[in-house]
Amino acid sequence: MAGGVVAGAALAAGCASRGRGNWDFLNDGQAHTLAAICDQIIPADDFPSASQAGAVTYIDRQLARHYRRHREAYRAGLEQAELLSRKLAGVSLSQAPQKSQFEVVTAIEKEQPAFFALVRSHTFESFYGNPRHGGNRDAVSWRMLGLDEPPVRGRAQYDFTKGAQS
Amino acid sequence: MKRILKICALAVVAVAALITSGMFGASYYYTTQHGAGCAGCHEMASYVSVVHSSAHQNATTCLDCHDASMATKLRHIAIHLSGRIPEAIRLRDVDVVAMTANCQKCHQKEYATWHAGPHSATYQQIFADSKHNSKRRLMDDCFRCHGMHYSGPVRELVQPQNITGPWHVVRAGFADQPTMPCQSCHWVHREGQPETKPSTRISVAAPALDDSLAFFDRREQMHFAAANLALPQLYEGARPVHASPDRRQALCYQCHASRMPEPSTIADTNHWGPQVGSGDDRTPLGVHEGLSCFSCHSGHNENARASCVTCHPQMSHCGLDVEKMDTTYANPASKHNVHWVKCVDCHTHGVPKPKVQRTAALAAGQ
Amino acid sequence: MKRVNAVVVGAGAAGGIVAKQLAVSGMSVVLFERGKWYTPADCRKDDLRNQRTTVLGNAFGPEDEGNPRVLVDAAGNAHVVLPSEGSYQNNAACVGGGTLSYGAQAWRYMPQDFRLKSTYGAPPGSSLEDWPISYDDLEPFYDQAEYEIGVSGDYSPTPFRSPRKRPLPMPPLPANREFEILEPAAKRLGLHPFPLPMLRNSVPYNDRGPCMRCRWCCGFACEVDAKNGSQNTVIPIALGTGNCELRMSSTVKEVLVDDKGRARGVSYFDESGHLQEQLSDIVVVSACAIESARLLLNSKSRLFPNGLGNRYDQVGRNLQGHHYTGAVGYFDHDTYDDMGPGASIAVMDYNHGTPGLVGGGMLANEFIRLPIHMVDRVPKDTPRWGLAHKQAMRAWHKRSIVIMGPTQQIPTADARVILDPAVKDQWGLPVARIQGNCHPHTFEIGAVQSQRAEAWLKEAGAIFTSRTGGKPATISAGQHQAGTCRMGNDPQSSVVNRNCQLHDVDNVFVIDGSVHVNNGGFNPVLTIMAIAYMASDALVHNWKGTGLRS
Repeated sequence: MAGGVVAGAALAAGCASRGRGNWDFLNDGQAHTLAAICDQIIPADDFPSASQAGAVTYIDRQLARHYRRHREAYRAGLEQAELLSRKLAGVSLSQAPQKSQFEVVTAIEKEQPAFFALVRSHTFESFYGNPRHGGNRDAVSWRMLGLDEPPVRGRAQYDFTKGAQS
Repeated sequence: MKRILKICALAVVAVAALITSGMFGASYYYTTQHGAGCAGCHEMASYVSVVHSSAHQNATTCLDCHDASMATKLRHIAIHLSGRIPEAIRLRDVDVVAMTANCQKCHQKEYATWHAGPHSATYQQIFADSKHNSKRRLMDDCFRCHGMHYSGPVRELVQPQNITGPWHVVRAGFADQPTMPCQSCHWVHREGQPETKPSTRISVAAPALDDSLAFFDRREQMHFAAANLALPQLYEGARPVHASPDRRQALCYQCHASRMPEPSTIADTNHWGPQVGSGDDRTPLGVHEGLSCFSCHSGHNENARASCVTCHPQMSHCGLDVEKMDTTYANPASKHNVHWVKCVDCHTHGVPKPKVQRTAALAAGQ
Repeated sequence: MKRVNAVVVGAGAAGGIVAKQLAVSGMSVVLFERGKWYTPADCRKDDLRNQRTTVLGNAFGPEDEGNPRVLVDAAGNAHVVLPSEGSYQNNAACVGGGTLSYGAQAWRYMPQDFRLKSTYGAPPGSSLEDWPISYDDLEPFYDQAEYEIGVSGDYSPTPFRSPRKRPLPMPPLPANREFEILEPAAKRLGLHPFPLPMLRNSVPYNDRGPCMRCRWCCGFACEVDAKNGSQNTVIPIALGTGNCELRMSSTVKEVLVDDKGRARGVSYFDESGHLQEQLSDIVVVSACAIESARLLLNSKSRLFPNGLGNRYDQVGRNLQGHHYTGAVGYFDHDTYDDMGPGASIAVMDYNHGTPGLVGGGMLANEFIRLPIHMVDRVPKDTPRWGLAHKQAMRAWHKRSIVIMGPTQQIPTADARVILDPAVKDQWGLPVARIQGNCHPHTFEIGAVQSQRAEAWLKEAGAIFTSRTGGKPATISAGQHQAGTCRMGNDPQSSVVNRNCQLHDVDNVFVIDGSVHVNNGGFNPVLTIMAIAYMASDALVHNWKGTGLRS
C-alpha cells in the first residue's frame, strides 16, 4: 500500500503543477462565458446548440493542443466579454437572459472583432466538424443536414482476374 | 527545473509501481472500487463516470475488463506526467485484443455463439485468404468492417501487398485475433441494458432498441448508436423495397451494404437509388420481404440454421419442407437465394393456392 | 554512401514518374522525400485536418513546426506563415506529394495553351511567353500518363477537346445529381458539357478497385485506393525494380557542384537529422515550384554565387497557380446526393477565343461539399451567426451547387520566390519568401468566368446566385503552383531547356510544375506527369553508362 501512496503523491504533484479542474485549459468561469457565446452563434432549435453538442470541449481541447497560439486571445477576450456583459446586462454573461446575451454577443462582435471572429470560426468547426474532436456530438449536425454518418456504402465485389463484374 | 522534477517523479513512480505490483499484485490506482482510482486522474474522470451509468456499473474495478499490465500502467503515468494527453482517450488495437476475452467471463453463452460463427473470423482468415488476395488488392478500407479496432495501415498487417502472395499476417500477435470483437457492435460504456433475446415469434413490429447496440466507426474511433445509424431505403429496380422497421438492422447495413451505381450498370440505376441485393446487401425480397435480419439471424452468429422452423412449415404456402426445397438454405449453390426467392421462381405457371393458412398477425403485418 | 546514377529530389507527381522511368531503364536511383509515406489511417477522413481544410493542421505535411515561409502582402508587409495557413501556398510533403490527396482532375492542356503569346500577344507588364514545345510534342506522354497512372473519363470529341489518338483507359463514373441538373442547362446555352476526366478508377484498374463514391475525396487519401497517385502506381514499380531506393524523412539541403561547374550529388539531412552526402551522376529536382526554386537558390557555390541555374536571375520568377472564380447557385429542390467525388461535369467552351481576353478557363462543378465548407457559402444576406445561420445551413446545404474553375493566369516576372534574408527553417536553411501577384488581366478573365458560372447556374434553375472569387491580395499558388523554373530556348529568359535540363549545368534537371511557361486554364497535374514522362524519355535516350551524351 505504501507504494501506492507514494505513486499517488507523485501523481498529485504532476496534477498540481498543471492546476486544472474539468478542462484542459479553461477554468469553469471561462467555460460558462464561452458556452454562452457559442450558443448565440449556434442556438438550440429542434437540434442542439453549439455547447450542447460539445463546442466548449472542442475549443478547450484545442487550446491545449493545436490552438495554443490562441490562448492569450481567449484569456483576454473572455475577460473582456465578461466586463462587457456586466456593463450592458449587469450580470455575468451566462447568467443573463437570452435576449441580453444576444445583445452582449452583438456588442462583442463589434468591440472585439478579432476575438469574435476566432470564436465564431472555432464554434463552427466544433459543430460542423468531426465528433472525434469533441464537438458535433454523435454527428448531430450532420444528421441535421440530412447526411448519414457513417455513410452506408457497399464495396465492390470484383474478381480482378476477370475484369469488372456486377 | 520542472523537467528534472518530472523525471524524478517518474523514477519514483516507476519504483513505487514495481514494488506495489510485486507485493500486492496490482497497484492502488487500478484496483480501487468502481474505478475511483482511475477517475482520480482528471483525464479519465468522464470515461469512468459513463461506466457508472451503464449496464456495466456493477463491475468491481476497471481491471475486470481492461488490461493493466505493468507496462500499461507506467505508460499511463508517463503520458499523464508529460501532459501529452491525446484529444480523446481511446483503446488501442492491442488493448482491444487484450480485453476481448474478458467479455467471456460474464457473457459466456453470447461469447460462445459469436465464437462459433463467422463474425469471429480472425485476421489470418480474413487477410491471408489467398482466394481473395489473388483476385483483389487489400486496402485500408477493409478494416472498416474487418478489423475496425486495428489502428495502422493494412501494409503493416499483411505482406506482401500484391496479388501474387503468399500472404502473411506480419503484425505480431494479431493473426489469431478476431477482426470483429464484441466492441465492434457493442458500446460497452454506454447506458442501457445488455441486448435482450429476440422474441421467438417473428414480429414485423420494431422491437425496442438497445442503447448498447452501436457501430464502432474506425474513422472517428467511436461508436455510433444504432438509433442514429442510417436505415437505407433500398429499391428493386424503381420499386421501393418494403423493409422491416427493426432499427437493429441499421447495424447490419453498415457492412452488409448495397453498392453505388457503376459505369457498367444501366443509366436508369442512377434514378432508382441503391439496389437491393447489390454488393453485400441481403435485404429480403419476394416471399420474405419485410422481414428483419434478426428474424432469422442472431447477431452473434450469422448462422440461420434452425430459424426456419419458427415459421415453417406452418406458414409455408405449398406445404413443402422448406429446409429441403431448392434454395440456398439447403444448398449454397442453388440459384434460389433464400433472401429473395419468389413463389414464381419455381411456380413458373402460376402460384397454387396456399395449403396452410398464414397467421393473421403476419398477414396483417405484411 | 554509394554513388548512384541519379538523385531525384521529391517523390510527388513528377519525381515518382522520373524515378520509375530511370529505374526501369536500369539506372540506379535514390529518390528523396522530406515527408513520410502516409496512408489513409493517418487522416481518417478528418474534415478539419486534411490537405484541403487545415484548421487543425495538414494531414500530409509539412508539419507546422519548423517549416515556415514568408509571404509579402500587397502592401509590401512580410508575414511569417505556417504550413496550415492558406497563404503559405502549401502543396504537400509526403510520398506521392499532392497526388496522395488531390481531387485528381486529369486535364490535358489545349494546343493554344502552348502558344499563348503568339495567339493573343503578351499584355503589357506580363511575362507571357510561348512554350518551346507544342501540344503535339507532349501528346504521346499525356497518353502514357493516362494509361500508366490511370484516368477515367469521357473521350468523345467536342469542338474544344485536345486531339488524342486513343480513348481513355476507363469510362467515367456514373453521373451524380448535379451532373443531371447541369448537363441539359449547359446544352441549352449552346455549350459542350462532358464528364470530368479523373485520375481515379471507375472500374478495376492496375489491380485496384473502383471509387466507392464517398463524401471525402479532394484533400484526403483514398481508403479504397481508387485514386491514382504516384504513391500507388509508379513508385512501387520503381522500388520493385531493385534499382531505386526511397529515402524518406530526408530533406535535401543543396545540390553539390564540383570545380568544373557540374553537379556531383546532393547534401541532405537524413531521418535522424544528420547531414549526409549522396553523390550521383545527375540530379533531378522535382520538389514542386516553390521548393524546387528554393533548393536551386540555396545551392550557392563559388561558380554559382546566386544559386544554381540562376545566372540571369530567372529562378523563382513567374510564380503561378490558379485564380479560382465561379458562383454558387441556390435551388428550390435538392441538388446534393452524397455521391463523391462530386465534381462531375465541365465545359471547355470558355478556355479560348473570347475577344478581349487572353485565354479563359475550364468551368466545372465543385467537389462534394463537407458541412464545414458550407459555413461561408450560405446566401450572402444570411446573418454571419445565430439561429438564422443555422437554419440557412439546413435550408441550403443540400440545395446549392458551386461552379468554378481555374482561370488562366497571366504571369509576371515579379511574382516570385526568393530566399528570405532572416527566417530559417528547422535545418537552418533560408525559407522561401513569396512576393508579387499575377497580372491584373487575370482578374478580368476571372470576373468574366464568374458571370459565366452564374449564367449556367441560372439556366439550370437556380433561384438566385452569388459570385465567388474576387481579386485576391496575394498570389494563389498552393496545390497548383508552377512556373518558377521556366522552360525555354533562351538561357537569358528561362531556366531549363525543352528537356528540362538547366541551361547552366547539363547534369541537373528540374522536372515538375516549375517548368510550366504558363499554367493553362486547367488543373495542372496531368501536364506535370506528361512532362515528367517526356523529360525522362529524353534523359534515358541521352544516357550512356555514367553520363549524358552531349
